Amino acid sequence: MIRALGYRAVQAVMVALLVGVLTFLMMQALPGDMAFRIAAGRYGYDAVNAQAAEAVRQELGLDQPAINAFGAWFMDLLRLDFGTSVISGAPVIDEIRHQLGASLQLAGAALALSLLIGPPVGVLAGLRAGGGLDRGLLLVSTALRSVPQFLMGLILIVLVSIHLGWLPAAGYGKPAHFILPALTLALGLAAVSARITRDAMAGVAASPFYAFGRWKGLSEPQLFRRHGLRNIGVALVTFLGLQFAMLVEGVVVIEAIFGWPGIGHALVHAIFGRDVPMVQGTALLLGLGFVVLNALVDLAAHWIDPRGNTEVRT
Amino acid sequence: MSALATDIPVVARSGWTRTQWAGAGLLALILGFAILAPMLFPADPLRQNLRNILGTGDAASPLGYDHLGRLLTARLAAALRLSVLISAAAVVTSAILGVAVGVLAAWRGGWVDRLFALLADSFLALPGLLMVLIISAIVPTTPLAFWIGLTLVLWIEYFRLTRATVRRLIAAPGVQASRLLGFGPVYIFRRHLWPELAPMLLTVAAFGAATAIMMIAALGFVSVGMRPPTPELGLMMVELLPYYREAPHALVAPVIATFLTLLGLNLIAGGRRA
Amino acid sequence: MLSKLLASAAMAAVLSSAAFANDGVIDVVAPFEIKGADPVTSGNIYIKMDIAEPLVNADAEGRLMPGLATEWRVSEDGRTWRFYLREGVLFHDGSAFTAEAAANALKIARAKPGLLETAPITGIEADGTDLVIRLSAPFAPLPAFLSEYRSLIYAPSAYGADGSVTTVIGTGAYHVTRLDAPLRLEAEAFGGYWGPAPAINRVSYQAVGRAETRALLAESGDADYVFNLDPASVARLKSVENVDILSVSVPRSLLIKVNGAHPALTDVAARRALSLAIDRQGLAQAILRYPAGADQILPPSIGDWHSDAVTPLTYDPEAARALLAGLGWRAGPDGVLTRNGDRFSLTLTTYPDRPELPLSAAVLQQMFAEIGVEVVIDSTNSSEVAVRHADGSLDIALFARNFALVPDPIGTFLTDYAPTGDWGAMNWNNPEFNALIAALARGEGGQPARNRAIEILQADLPVIPVAWYQQTAAVSTGITGAVIDPYERTIGLRQIRWAQ
Repeated sequence: MIRALGYRAVQAVMVALLVGVLTFLMMQALPGDMAFRIAAGRYGYDAVNAQAAEAVRQELGLDQPAINAFGAWFMDLLRLDFGTSVISGAPVIDEIRHQLGASLQLAGAALALSLLIGPPVGVLAGLRAGGGLDRGLLLVSTALRSVPQFLMGLILIVLVSIHLGWLPAAGYGKPAHFILPALTLALGLAAVSARITRDAMAGVAASPFYAFGRWKGLSEPQLFRRHGLRNIGVALVTFLGLQFAMLVEGVVVIEAIFGWPGIGHALVHAIFGRDVPMVQGTALLLGLGFVVLNALVDLAAHWIDPRGNTEVRT
Repeated sequence: MSALATDIPVVARSGWTRTQWAGAGLLALILGFAILAPMLFPADPLRQNLRNILGTGDAASPLGYDHLGRLLTARLAAALRLSVLISAAAVVTSAILGVAVGVLAAWRGGWVDRLFALLADSFLALPGLLMVLIISAIVPTTPLAFWIGLTLVLWIEYFRLTRATVRRLIAAPGVQASRLLGFGPVYIFRRHLWPELAPMLLTVAAFGAATAIMMIAALGFVSVGMRPPTPELGLMMVELLPYYREAPHALVAPVIATFLTLLGLNLIAGGRRA
Repeated sequence: MLSKLLASAAMAAVLSSAAFANDGVIDVVAPFEIKGADPVTSGNIYIKMDIAEPLVNADAEGRLMPGLATEWRVSEDGRTWRFYLREGVLFHDGSAFTAEAAANALKIARAKPGLLETAPITGIEADGTDLVIRLSAPFAPLPAFLSEYRSLIYAPSAYGADGSVTTVIGTGAYHVTRLDAPLRLEAEAFGGYWGPAPAINRVSYQAVGRAETRALLAESGDADYVFNLDPASVARLKSVENVDILSVSVPRSLLIKVNGAHPALTDVAARRALSLAIDRQGLAQAILRYPAGADQILPPSIGDWHSDAVTPLTYDPEAARALLAGLGWRAGPDGVLTRNGDRFSLTLTTYPDRPELPLSAAVLQQMFAEIGVEVVIDSTNSSEVAVRHADGSLDIALFARNFALVPDPIGTFLTDYAPTGDWGAMNWNNPEFNALIAALARGEGGQPARNRAIEILQADLPVIPVAWYQQTAAVSTGITGAVIDPYERTIGLRQIRWAQ
């Protein structure tokens, strides 16, 4: 276990380096004049001009070689200082904290919703592998996976908001605003988690100890609680760790469509405004979040099934 | 992880399931349309004709016309070719990269193995869209950016799969015997490793292609991918969305095409189970 | 399972739809993101939401009106302006609006990039209850410059020690209760407002960058006032029952900037040929979806800067080809004109921030191809136009220029055309024009000078006008009193009431 956590620590450093190198390359390869780009991001296309760009250049000291900036960034990082956004002038950490909250709320709602839909359906299908429900699930989940999330969002908006008038089409601030974007994300996630649960459940249900339990006279619910739950738990928890990356990807696109003020929105803007500190900060935070989550998954899997070899999953 | 791996029965690699054939059929249909449309309905997908705005299908363009009077048939075919081409290129390069590095890591073991595993895990930590977005800021031409970005995202899966499989196989008696008999790595790869790897790689490739096509469309849809007037699936959808009441047929064309392409790939990938 | 989910979603919907049908809040949706509290970056939002006010206001015709200043006078020599300030005005933090506060706010605004920076100001100071601004040269448009959103007056406590703006503390009818930059803002009526209290107490502002999403918000009735609709959605929303469409011609023009030093474009005949190749009505109808082809630089709604005396720009590809033939251009094997081995090929720089620009560029590309001129479109970051202007590498550029950042277009003509500017003429210098504009800036010349200036632009074509913009907004039928302002300063928030 200790070894696994040590590995995650090394991975975290590696992620930081990777983000650093990628964003360094990004700074190097920036097509166009950085000062002009930032000025356009700050003041808009009606007000960007040579004077505004010159003011930005002075303010940010953009004349320095990029390698200095890279070194400075990495040193600051060691002191947990992410720098300030070149567009808004606010500290990156404040910007991210603000926007991360909105994203986490959305991601949390989506995850909860997907867990309500996916695994229960998967368990039922897995218990009767090859049955009607199982075939139906395969069909529906394959179809759902073939609908890109942005398309799903669009279909839901047109159907639920415009034609039925039930829910707000987009926006932020009221609980009702959560439902459509969360459902959009959740359907995609549930399609996969239902399949994973189904496979795990089918495997368990076909195993000798499950048959033995049944022979012992345990009822189906008892059987499921004793033998089924624990076994599919490991598969599901492991999968959830990986789902994080998928969720973040979904969030970037979904936020753009639903006008949600989260980290995906921030990232897209930062990349197009050439706000390198913001890109570094967000990318780093997302990467490290993934690593921490996986460390937690390692712990959880170990807790659910202590027999399991806790060797690093690679 | 174990639960995931064990219950996938290694289906006889000789035959495809019916589901897979259905997927392949769908895909062939889409590809056929993408390749044949320019021959059957030759037209420039950028050519506008302001008289035909949002027109319905006719002999020149059975799918109708878009908001600038461009031929939807030609545009859809061009968009499909673009998406398929980029994703195919990304799948091929990522497969070569992933398999090569995977075999190398498993074969050499030790610190080489650990280093590559760490590298792959670190790449995995960065969401794919983020990677593609950053690369698109570095590389000026968008298709090239997609290709590089997607390759960097997709290679990890090949690497992990190859490494795990090769590790198991190297310890197996067959490979040991070949090694003792003095056969070189190339022979061993072709004789022992590739036959085991190939069917699994097909699944990964189909999923990878689906991921790639979805990502290109998603970025196009949120206006950070391909730029207008290039025909691209996501862009076409976002351009035609405002006209969904006036001309639903125009919006439906790219939607259905995207769905069928992804469905075909998912059927091929997911249909391997017994 | 699915039915259960649908049921719970439906239930949430019932609960919430009661809340948002008429929730007592006016929901305003616009594309502009809140970049912070600073008027320099986001003042356009605070002025529209009646949160902060400038010294000078403007009505829908661009005429200057009293704002926080009730009156202003200029000295004989035109170098000293005195603004008499409104009494009994309170900032949202309860402090009194004074001449010192106004001077402080303007000094800070002037130190940041913006139009105010370009005015010949030497001093801004309080003189008793008046504000005095001293100039190094006469500058007639000064009050217009002070009406701009970057010159909004905040309380001294809104600024940090370094001039950065920490919070929004204005004098407007609404005060900010919640600021979730970059996308959301909530405000309530300010009890201490100097004017009549607004009819509706609570308002919200939501930035939605995607035009499609904005249109969907209008269509579904979630938003009461949706600003800036894309042309395609306007057509659709017109058929929606609960939405009214407001539209108005605005002083924003779609222009082609021409590098006057480009070998193929130095001759004015070449620029005229390009102009003749443009089917303006066709382009406007297809892309903007309203008949607003620009036959001169500004539309008739901007009375002072629209001249009926000039010959309108027309569409005549035959004449265009003849003009180019007269300049020695001959069609090459691929139909592109050549002269002494040079192809008539231009790179058109534009940017996708306004979605109609790349589309218009594509249409123009075809129109120019008809007369044998090849155009390569480079749709990039908006700042590239400024960059390529500076290093001289620009051929032509397509952009939408707002001539009324201040209500008087003279400010824009001064920065863009006398003689050149990032968003105006390039390598063009007409001494007569420069003199006319300089005189107008001093407050001399009047209408004849303006008419002559337009005539020069029409004849010389340093930029080629393509279309005039209209601004559109979707307003819910649940409210009355909303307006659309060509100068984008107000949406009539204070006058809006719930429909009976």
